[in-house]
Amino acid sequence: MYNLILTGKLEPGTNPRDALAGLAKLLKVDDAKAREIVRNAPVCIRRNTDAAMAERVVAAMKAIGIRIQLEPVAAAPAADGLAGTGVGTGVGTGVGTGEVASTAGAANAVSVAKTTNSAASAKPARPEQPSTSLKVIAGGKPAAANPVDKAQTPDSQQTAQAPHTPAAPESFKGFRYQLSGQPDYCFISVEIPAGETIKVEASAMASMTTNMLMKTRAKGGLSRFMSGESVFINEFTADTVPGEIGIAPGSPGDVKHLYLDNEEVFLQNSAFVASGMGVVAESKWQGFTKGFFSGESLFLIRCSGQGDLWFNTYGAMIEIDVAGDYVVDTGNIVGFTSGLDYDIQSVGGYKSLFFSGEGLVCRFRGHGKVWIQTRSVPAFASWANWYRPVKKK
Amino acid sequence: MKVEINGGQAFAHLQVELAPGESIVTESNAMSSMDANIDLTAQLNGGLVRGLLRKYLGGETLFISRFSNNTQEPRSLYLVQPTPGDIRCVDIDENGLFLQGGAFLACTPEVKLGVKWAGIVSFLAGEGLFKLYAHGNGKLWYGAYGALVDKEVDGEYIVDTSHLVAWQPGMELKLQLAGGLFSSIFSGEGLVTRIEGNGKITIQSRSLSGLGSWLNPKF
Amino acid sequence: MEVELIHRPGNTAARVSLQPGEVCTTESGAMIAMSGNMQIETTTHQKGKGSVLKALKRLVGGESIFMNHFEPLGGKGELWLGTALAGDMLVHELDNEQLIVQGSSFLASEQGVELDIGWQGFKSVLSGENIFWLTLTGKGKVVLSSFGAIYPVEVDGDYIVDTGHIVAFEQTLDFSITKAGKSWLHSFLGGEGLVCKFSGRGTVWCQSHNPQSFGSSLTPNLIARKA
Repeated sequence: MYNLILTGKLEPGTNPRDALAGLAKLLKVDDAKAREIVRNAPVCIRRNTDAAMAERVVAAMKAIGIRIQLEPVAAAPAADGLAGTGVGTGVGTGVGTGEVASTAGAANAVSVAKTTNSAASAKPARPEQPSTSLKVIAGGKPAAANPVDKAQTPDSQQTAQAPHTPAAPESFKGFRYQLSGQPDYCFISVEIPAGETIKVEASAMASMTTNMLMKTRAKGGLSRFMSGESVFINEFTADTVPGEIGIAPGSPGDVKHLYLDNEEVFLQNSAFVASGMGVVAESKWQGFTKGFFSGESLFLIRCSGQGDLWFNTYGAMIEIDVAGDYVVDTGNIVGFTSGLDYDIQSVGGYKSLFFSGEGLVCRFRGHGKVWIQTRSVPAFASWANWYRPVKKK
Repeated sequence: MKVEINGGQAFAHLQVELAPGESIVTESNAMSSMDANIDLTAQLNGGLVRGLLRKYLGGETLFISRFSNNTQEPRSLYLVQPTPGDIRCVDIDENGLFLQGGAFLACTPEVKLGVKWAGIVSFLAGEGLFKLYAHGNGKLWYGAYGALVDKEVDGEYIVDTSHLVAWQPGMELKLQLAGGLFSSIFSGEGLVTRIEGNGKITIQSRSLSGLGSWLNPKF
Repeated sequence: MEVELIHRPGNTAARVSLQPGEVCTTESGAMIAMSGNMQIETTTHQKGKGSVLKALKRLVGGESIFMNHFEPLGGKGELWLGTALAGDMLVHELDNEQLIVQGSSFLASEQGVELDIGWQGFKSVLSGENIFWLTLTGKGKVVLSSFGAIYPVEVDGDYIVDTGHIVAFEQTLDFSITKAGKSWLHSFLGGEGLVCKFSGRGTVWCQSHNPQSFGSSLTPNLIARKA
């Protein structure tokens, strides 16, 4: 097993611009993102890769003039020593970013520092368990989809140091996956080990190997019937050999992956795409005042447990670190972490309530993350309404 | 001829520069803007019968447009498909390429556009009786709703029927149920295409029918 | 007022940073998120000027009659703007010239920019765009939105834009309705039908995609509505 480190050095005689363009193409990200990856070099682009795959990546990178360093996955004691540096860098950059970004940025620094610390403190106790934030990259996602603010920089910095986490392959949590087509038409392909199962939203399967078996189940809870979503969910199981499945959510937009480690995330009604079997997704009635006015739907999906979780947006995704309070239009909420309290309000006075077109907004308070989408579903639905075929009587 | 694909995956469109005397063939209503002195001629591709087959059974339009630069200077035009999504340029040779109905956007005049019998199965899946088959010697641009993802098929592979955009000849496409009978009715997957053989297929990461079923509960 | 565009061109969002005292005027319904200290005022006209008549004109221009004015209280604030459809955005700095904007493309403006309805004559009816257009004058930043990517074309002479693809153009340009190519027959058989011809010197901003074409291709997949 190897970690692949992008050293930032080029093969002799390579034009940096070509290399950058090649990298962008290879990783299927835009040039700006590729530049960011290189700027963060040395950075780990793929972890726990077997020798054959590693060789292929090295060859592909060499072809575009980028040098990759193979690093055998370190043994535990050495890793512990190095993990210390990881913490230092993570905090350092986090604070730096806070100064650049505005209100939201300051919160960032805090949250980054927090994750880093918890990652570090978790290590001696349970050395075999990678923390959530490390896992995201470990899943083989070369470029996260959040060019929004500099929030990503401390994250990727932190993970650049992360390869030293002693993640033995057998303790590796979650599925290997890859996102392509970001940020507008994100497509997920997940490798499913033999005998393992993944839950996928109805009709989201786009392609798969022939050894994947599908089973359709009714989702739990009466609320499913009222929320307008499909009441069924599909489970795909790889039979005796490993399989692969390609998932295409219905709405045009981005996908976010989280590895839940007994945490809780709330998602807007139709945002759920897929999850591991250890994740429990249940509809949660928001109560009359919160649910009734929220416009989007009466329900939130509460995801908890342990395992992979993928959710999607309509439009591009923006991640906002809330510290204090933040206001989001109800039609643009994708999800939020527990630890945030929210209530539904009108903006401005009564005139704004009826005429501003903003209707009701959701005011979040506390500390946590909110994911918002740049487009609103009700607005798109009212546009598309004109193009519906007309029923003849 | 200089052609650039701009607009990213979301809104890919072609910026074409025609040298004097050059022309480009496009699907109907593909032009979004152009220099005023470019000539447009609408033509039946390969005669009326082939044209009608393409229109009614291949999901394409009866006429195709030909934009020509008959001036003495380079002229430019912009081409686009009706839906947002990615566009790809391919070199077409005598082996040819199969395209899903509606995927064709433009080609150089040397490329021949025809139809091939796709089998009753394809018709049942709502994808038309015929597939567009492009061959000859030139360049072709095709697109789809969503991002385009390539997949090398080695042996066999399953694709949701509405996500298949293009595939190389020599592979066999078969329709099958996605799971058991109950699953196939309630899973939302219904019929899927099983591809057997070796070659490259291109799938789209979104489909209009998927968009529809996501949107419909929200009206 | 600082504007930063994110996720161009697919699902662009505008991040507007406002200093204390600055006001951003937006089309109604454009706010997707904002910092907690932002104050909204909804009026039928621009802050401190305008009249009900102008508001009525805006209504027929395809814009909502109401405008929202955002102002941060006690410190600076930020505001995220989005549109109903996917697409690109454009930030343009007006310096006392006139810009003619397709009705639904207006998204936001800085104080100091004036909005008015511009009637482009009967050719507007045929243009496939909104019948009414907004004329922007004054000094300051404006944010425009589109369906599809936006590309500018410097026109010097004649240039043809298919109906449904115009975002905005400089007032120095004149436009008329005509055919694509030399023949009316071929223009219709080729699916282009009527097109807009711009003449003169100036910039026209086009959107790469046509919302109506997309809507029509969506139709077979949507459930029927009552007439």
